[in-house]
Amino acid sequence: MAYALHFPRSFEEAFRLLDPQGQPPALPLAGGTDLLPAVEAGRWHPGALVSLSRLPLATFERAGDEVLIGGTLPLRRLEREPAIGELLPGFAEALREVGSVPLRHRATLGGNVVRASPASDLLPPLLALEASLDLRSQHGRRRVALVDFLRGSWETTLQRGELVERIRVPVPRPGSYRWQRVRPANDISQVGVATALVTSDARSPWRIAAGGMESHPQRLSGAEAALPQEDPSPGEIEEAVHRAREGTRLKDDRRAGEEYRRHLLGVLLRRSITSTVERARSMKGRRT
Amino acid sequence: MIRTDALPKARGALPYAPDVELPGMLWAVYVTSPHPHAEIRRVDTAGAREVPGVVDVLTAEDLPGLLPREPEPTRPLLATKVTRFVGEPVALVAAENLPAARAGASRVQVDYRVLPAFTDLEREFPHWPTPEEMRSHPQVNAHVHARRGDFDQVAHRADHVHRERYQTAMVAQVPLEPHACLARVQGDDWYVLTTTQAPFGIREDLADKLGLPQEKVRVEGTWVGGGFGGKNEALLEPHALLLSRRTGRPVRIALTFQEEFLFSRTTQPAIFWMESCLKDGKLVARRTRLLLDTGASLPGRDFALGYSLGFTLGPYRLESFELEGYALRTHRPPFGPHRAPLAPQCTFASEGHLDSLARDRGEDPVEFRLRHVWRPGDRTALGQPVGPFAAEAGLRRARETARAWKASAPPGHGVGVALGFWSTGTGAGGEARLTLSPEGLVLLQGEREIGNGSIWQGLPEVVAATLGVPPAIVSVRYGDTAHAPFDSGVWGSRTTAALGYAVAKAAEGLRRELERRAPGSGPVSFTARDGALTVAREGRSYPATDLMTPEERAEGGLRVEAKHYGKNEGTLEEGLVLEGEMFPYSDLIASVHVAEVSVDRETGAVKVLRYAAFQDAGKVVNPPGYRGQVEGAIVMGLGTALTEEGLLDPEGHLANPGLLDYRIPTLSDPPPELTIVALEGSLGSGVWGSKGVGEPPIIPVPAAVANAVADATGARVTVLPLTPERVSQALRGGARDPGGGRR
Repeated sequence: MAYALHFPRSFEEAFRLLDPQGQPPALPLAGGTDLLPAVEAGRWHPGALVSLSRLPLATFERAGDEVLIGGTLPLRRLEREPAIGELLPGFAEALREVGSVPLRHRATLGGNVVRASPASDLLPPLLALEASLDLRSQHGRRRVALVDFLRGSWETTLQRGELVERIRVPVPRPGSYRWQRVRPANDISQVGVATALVTSDARSPWRIAAGGMESHPQRLSGAEAALPQEDPSPGEIEEAVHRAREGTRLKDDRRAGEEYRRHLLGVLLRRSITSTVERARSMKGRRT
Repeated sequence: MIRTDALPKARGALPYAPDVELPGMLWAVYVTSPHPHAEIRRVDTAGAREVPGVVDVLTAEDLPGLLPREPEPTRPLLATKVTRFVGEPVALVAAENLPAARAGASRVQVDYRVLPAFTDLEREFPHWPTPEEMRSHPQVNAHVHARRGDFDQVAHRADHVHRERYQTAMVAQVPLEPHACLARVQGDDWYVLTTTQAPFGIREDLADKLGLPQEKVRVEGTWVGGGFGGKNEALLEPHALLLSRRTGRPVRIALTFQEEFLFSRTTQPAIFWMESCLKDGKLVARRTRLLLDTGASLPGRDFALGYSLGFTLGPYRLESFELEGYALRTHRPPFGPHRAPLAPQCTFASEGHLDSLARDRGEDPVEFRLRHVWRPGDRTALGQPVGPFAAEAGLRRARETARAWKASAPPGHGVGVALGFWSTGTGAGGEARLTLSPEGLVLLQGEREIGNGSIWQGLPEVVAATLGVPPAIVSVRYGDTAHAPFDSGVWGSRTTAALGYAVAKAAEGLRRELERRAPGSGPVSFTARDGALTVAREGRSYPATDLMTPEERAEGGLRVEAKHYGKNEGTLEEGLVLEGEMFPYSDLIASVHVAEVSVDRETGAVKVLRYAAFQDAGKVVNPPGYRGQVEGAIVMGLGTALTEEGLLDPEGHLANPGLLDYRIPTLSDPPPELTIVALEGSLGSGVWGSKGVGEPPIIPVPAAVANAVADATGARVTVLPLTPERVSQALRGGARDPGGGRR
């Protein structure tokens, strides 16, 4: 498992080291909390690891009605950005649930997104928030919506030699994240449900996404459509729960049975909607 | 109080077994069976030998010529024709460095023919089997059947017979330091440095396994990063020694966490069928039928079944009872001791069953227990007289706490109580050597401190208190088995209680010797001055070392030795009809625990909010160490209760061999409010009347939590652990419990 470890100081140098034709491939290294154990366990055999730690990617910025989160910004720094708690309360509560504090000091948002773990606690809220990604390679930049970026469990449209420069999230957006685990902390969620509210959609102001699915975390558009207004009636909420439970393929594995996951999906969706409605009330007047 | 070993440990300054290196050392890595049961047709090591850096490969074929004499017929050191569990060692590769050893191990080709495996007790035995079925069952390893009176007849006359089935999971010790050792054989000196609870036990085990006389084996303990029963047996040491013998070089083996889960010896699943008879409101009889998975254990070598069965009766007066159990040899890792082996599981069944019986009858479960609990002067179910035993006192305190919590808890919370009992290993022997030297008072030990403070803090405390001086002037030094005095080891809750006895005798001997030597005839007192023991008599005081002879001075000090070999008294009751083996109890210890929980009725998530332990202590020797043991046992027990479970996939492989999905409690999991009360006065047979504390406080934890969940919800979860999924299913009824082994 010998490999070279590089610390490029410029994008040009990084892209040269990440040569898409190289064999075995060089892999970009951000926090390494997922990649390094995988390399150690022999699941990946990189030709080299290219650390992104010296590139100017650990940034955070508010630009108009978006926050721009640099690809290598550690989660711990992100969760401490006052703007996150204030403008994206649902994302903030998911951030505080990732692994442990020491892990979040290293783990990055870009890393979490490109790994595309089916059990990620960050992808459901980012999907519900309609996040998009700025990707950069030696050929230039492209922007892609997260929903199109994710292709399956551990699978994305990221090209070799391409890096996540920024994650863009529209603000402010009331939202919430509800999850269930066997052990409350330092564990993988069996199901996680994120909801968020947007202001400009004739169909529904609700955005709903969940993890714990048979494949990667996904939007639940059927459930969204059952909620035509910001403050749904109990009947509408039950209809959304019904559609979510019926229209979703869920995982059945050692962490939870399919039946229990389906039960949880309904319980957590109901709780998340209720919480988001309350947050929307308290955020009134500050929304775009 | 801050332990003196805490800071160096936190800084990484104390060497553990994987930290020690010797010049010219090789690394060895195991090749283990990927199948629970398979025939080995061929082992091809040629590929491994080609890997640069690989020095040696050891397989079963190499063993016969290597051992000095044919060892006792125990488990083969390496699998020969058949592998019987995933993780069973088949070969080892030794190399100049770890990556080369791993690369070599990955190139050993083993040709297996997979055989049918028996790994799922529940699937094999959906019901209690008939005697006919078991007579011919090839996997029965032991059968125990004990009774007093005729249960069926009592049941026939009873007002009510309560019947339930309980099931418990595979749980592992999970020391944060996996097994590791470093061996060096030079001539007749078979030396191994290892992380162990019992250097002298390992020496004996190695002598048996390698066919060597004990005096040729020299075991040195290192600082131990947790044992919990898993470091009593020679696991890696025989292989490291054999490789060192062959290569002429020192050899290190250090397990990964995954290997630790796969082939260390641990607790396997069990199923209990419980029946209790009530007559005129009184519990008159109980029957337990137990199927115990003992993994790939050896035929006829089962201690677990006969030892554990008695715990399912609880410490209660019964007119008659029947206990029957089978230990089953399965294709899982062999059963091994694990902090109060099987007692938490048996008590989960026993105390859950009692609680549910009392609630069904509309009686307060604590009152019900108080009406039946053993009191001093009673006899245990197996016939030993009940000596000093604080179960009743503990129940009264628990009743008070449970009432207060119930009154102050929000609606929907539940409060549960459970009582566990234990019988300790205070009979196992130990010897002490205390030296008065210019460096202070020094105890020489074979075992290193294992983390609980019993060696490092408890023993100096005993010396200090015996002499009436502060413990800071007493220190502990370590020696290997050729130099340190014999001791049975850090297990069975015996260290402070039993070895402490020998240490107290040595300190007493030193006191008498100094009194004899000190000039004058008045009373002698001891103090500490500038870190040294000082003697005062008749108005004169001087360093104790002034009383040493020139010979003693030349030999490093005045040495006093003492030994304590306790007695495990008691015989089984004569009226007991017994097939198989059971063991009499000695030195009974009670643990009475109270848990308050909240239960999320939709998700099934259980939170333990308040927890109280009333422990039958005898006499506390080292208060912070005592408290630490009780706290640790409770938190570990909460893992067994709520989150820990070894899961097998359909092919019989452990699906969660790692810390991600085998969920031990983390620092954020202990209850926010934890009360620990040592009930002193019911004196035990340890030093100063102490009783062991390492194991007893883990015993009632799963039962206390399950009883609190039942109190909160009315639903009784009879399968461990109480994961949110299981609790949710119990609350929703209907859905089948996924059972042990699946989730």
